[in-house]
Amino acid sequence: MTPAPTTESRQTPPPAPGGRPADKRRDGRLLGQVAERTALPIALLLVVVVFSLVSPDRFFTTGNLTSILGSQSILFMLALAALVPSMAGDIDLSLGATGALAAIVVAVLNVNHGVPIGLACLLAVVAGAAAGGVNALFVVWFSTEPFIITLGTGTFFTGLVFWLANSTTIVGVSGSLATWTFLTRIATIPVQFYYCVLVMLVIWYVARFTPIGMRLLFVGQSREVAILSGIKANRVRAGSFVLGGTIAALAGVLYVGTTGSAGPSSVDTFLLPAYAAVFLGATSIEPGRFNALGTGVAVLFLATGVAGLQLLGAQDFAQQLFYGAALVVAVTLSRLVRGSTTR
Amino acid sequence: MTTALDLRDVSKVFGATRALWKVDLTVEHHEVLALLGENGCGKSTLVKVLAGVCEPEPGARMSVDGREVALPMAAGTSGGLGLSFVHQDLGLAKPLTVVENLLVGSLAVPGQAPHRIRWRRQVRAAAEMLASYGVEIDPRSVVDQLPPVDQALVAIARAADQLRRFRDTTGATSSVLVLDEPTVFLPEQEVEFLFDLVREVVASGSSVIFISHDLGAVRAIADRATILRDGRVVATTSMSEVTDDEVVELIVGPSAAAALNEVRSRPAPAPGGRETPVRVAGLGGGRVRDLHFDVAPGEIVGLAGLMGSGVEDVPYLLFGARQATSGTLTYADRVVELAHQRPMAAVSMGMALIPADRRRDAIAPAVSVAENMMMLVSRRFTRGGRLRLKELRRAADARAESLDIRPRRTSPPIGTLSGGNAQKVVLAKWLEIQPRLLVLHEPTQGVDVAARSEIYRVIERATETGMSVIWVSSDFEELATVCHRVVVVSDGVAAGQVDAAQLSPEAISTGVYAAARVSTASSLSTAGRASS
Repeated sequence: MTPAPTTESRQTPPPAPGGRPADKRRDGRLLGQVAERTALPIALLLVVVVFSLVSPDRFFTTGNLTSILGSQSILFMLALAALVPSMAGDIDLSLGATGALAAIVVAVLNVNHGVPIGLACLLAVVAGAAAGGVNALFVVWFSTEPFIITLGTGTFFTGLVFWLANSTTIVGVSGSLATWTFLTRIATIPVQFYYCVLVMLVIWYVARFTPIGMRLLFVGQSREVAILSGIKANRVRAGSFVLGGTIAALAGVLYVGTTGSAGPSSVDTFLLPAYAAVFLGATSIEPGRFNALGTGVAVLFLATGVAGLQLLGAQDFAQQLFYGAALVVAVTLSRLVRGSTTR
Repeated sequence: MTTALDLRDVSKVFGATRALWKVDLTVEHHEVLALLGENGCGKSTLVKVLAGVCEPEPGARMSVDGREVALPMAAGTSGGLGLSFVHQDLGLAKPLTVVENLLVGSLAVPGQAPHRIRWRRQVRAAAEMLASYGVEIDPRSVVDQLPPVDQALVAIARAADQLRRFRDTTGATSSVLVLDEPTVFLPEQEVEFLFDLVREVVASGSSVIFISHDLGAVRAIADRATILRDGRVVATTSMSEVTDDEVVELIVGPSAAAALNEVRSRPAPAPGGRETPVRVAGLGGGRVRDLHFDVAPGEIVGLAGLMGSGVEDVPYLLFGARQATSGTLTYADRVVELAHQRPMAAVSMGMALIPADRRRDAIAPAVSVAENMMMLVSRRFTRGGRLRLKELRRAADARAESLDIRPRRTSPPIGTLSGGNAQKVVLAKWLEIQPRLLVLHEPTQGVDVAARSEIYRVIERATETGMSVIWVSSDFEELATVCHRVVVVSDGVAAGQVDAAQLSPEAISTGVYAAARVSTASSLSTAGRASS
């Protein structure tokens, strides 16, 4: 409910209002606010503790840590991709397909056409940005509903993936990509996890401390006010679609690095948990706002939960149950959080 | 000698209505120009043209401080010309904090906002800026959680500060602050404060366009007035040369003023009729705390109050469209617990609601006039499980004729109709079920004068059969014209009543402002009431 300026300058009360009764009320609410913004991190800790107690020999191991943080980097990156349009008040359901498209572009170029892996990845990212551009064109310039349009473009991109892949999985992508994403480890954690953390921190910084981020905030939270204040809302929205597509393409590149292959179905399976993370993240850290740190915590929460359930011997369907329930709970929670801010 | 702002030949046509027609407007340096007129006279459109939000018809010209400005302006360029606006809705992003809202102005100009936003510094600067205008609000508060008065102060201080920075950076001597009905939010003492602020703005080298219905406020602050009626300028006059009565006549027009007096002499319904009155007791919910009033059969009772008084919540609480927390509605020997009221139940017991936001809440714009009008009674035209569209349309056509709905054809979508005609359709829709209680909220917003008097006439006729009417409006002229008596609502309770004998816009206005002042004083003495 309260954005971060409140936390940062909590110790220095502003000069003006002395003992206004409003201040006392605000202090009384402080506890509730702290509880609200830290609920998800605490839940994450609880999940870790519970699984560690239940299954100490298998859950609380470096191998498992590597597995959770490494394998879930694709989800992490895709969640960050989904975060950006969400912050601008839009939704992009084509991001999974965009990531899959990037993955297949890397594989086809590298395996079938012998393009160097670095260049192939670069072109894949360009393709992702272009996919975002297509969404921006229809949604922003033709003022259509992002929900249904990106459902359409996403299906179209999936069609492109099948076409390029010839409906089969392409294997044998250059091993150096795996070295740069999955195999190299820092403190036993695959380096791709750090890429995600880096992207998250950049989004967090830009959103919180730069004018661009403020514009994004106004466009997302009160679009009419933003337009009437002279902010070029269409440009901000278009930019967020392009950036979302670009980051989704990075998720595709990570997928190829992790699996060494790309097929008809790859990153797109992560779309739903990615949105679950984005909405769950909006209930935490800066409640009521889509925010990068909250999204990061939510990804870890989901990844840890699923990994723990699997270690306990849960069937594959448990993952779907968990992700689906998490999304529904997250959206409901964020609705309740918003309700409490608008008295 | 240049002028601060000069507009020539500004016209704007929406469909068949001329919102503005060849409007000329001049604002001198260092003056407060009042822009007056009824709701829907074109004031808002004119402001939108100035802000570059609305594109005028070709041929319009505008100059600021003697420099010609190309029209239409791109949205967002008005700030670079030294124009600043506080709109009725204040233009604040409500889910965000005050300090974030203060930053928004600098975001649109590249290079004006700092590359790195240091929140601690911004909060301090915001507090200082607000304090320099005597506004004491924690900049970290979320706007939504501030009382409406504080929200208005933030918006006005922000606009004034924008102009101050514009003059500082460009060295300009001229700037124009446009205040679009800012006083509706404010109790008396803040209005006084606002006047001080306006005078300060003028003294520092700016001009002000002051738009208000509050003639007292205009009298207190404005040097000259330009009066609009139905999109045209009917007069521009120095305030010292006109009386209030003359201004009112200019605003409403001579014929309407005469009609106004005629209607006012209408007798109240005979009291103590056979039927029991509609009685609202202990209503609470939203900003309403403990509201009691009753309405006799055939009676039209107005509810008046300032914005924030709770009066605007009453129609929806009674109808169950918004959840009441307490209260009962006694009605034809039935007692309804309003906490459990639902719109469906309200309709089935013969209640009708005409909401303020017509496009959102009262009509389906893409659906035909006939279907909108007959949606509640479509069963009447259904036989053998089939809707007889031709019959429905014929019945709708007949209503269109008797209500003078233009165009007469009822097959086009209702969204193509003007506001006044669409409202007549909404009224016709409800009258089809012959409601026993009609609740209206700002029923003539965006409705032209002719349609307005038609609406009054139709409702008055419907009351002859015993229909009770609760009429909530911020247009006191209107309340004085149509109501038998007016209940003044302040701070969520009934604070007074204006009876038929004294009913006039001034009496309502006086009652409303007096009540607001009392409640402000009492809330200060009890160390503030909870704002959440």
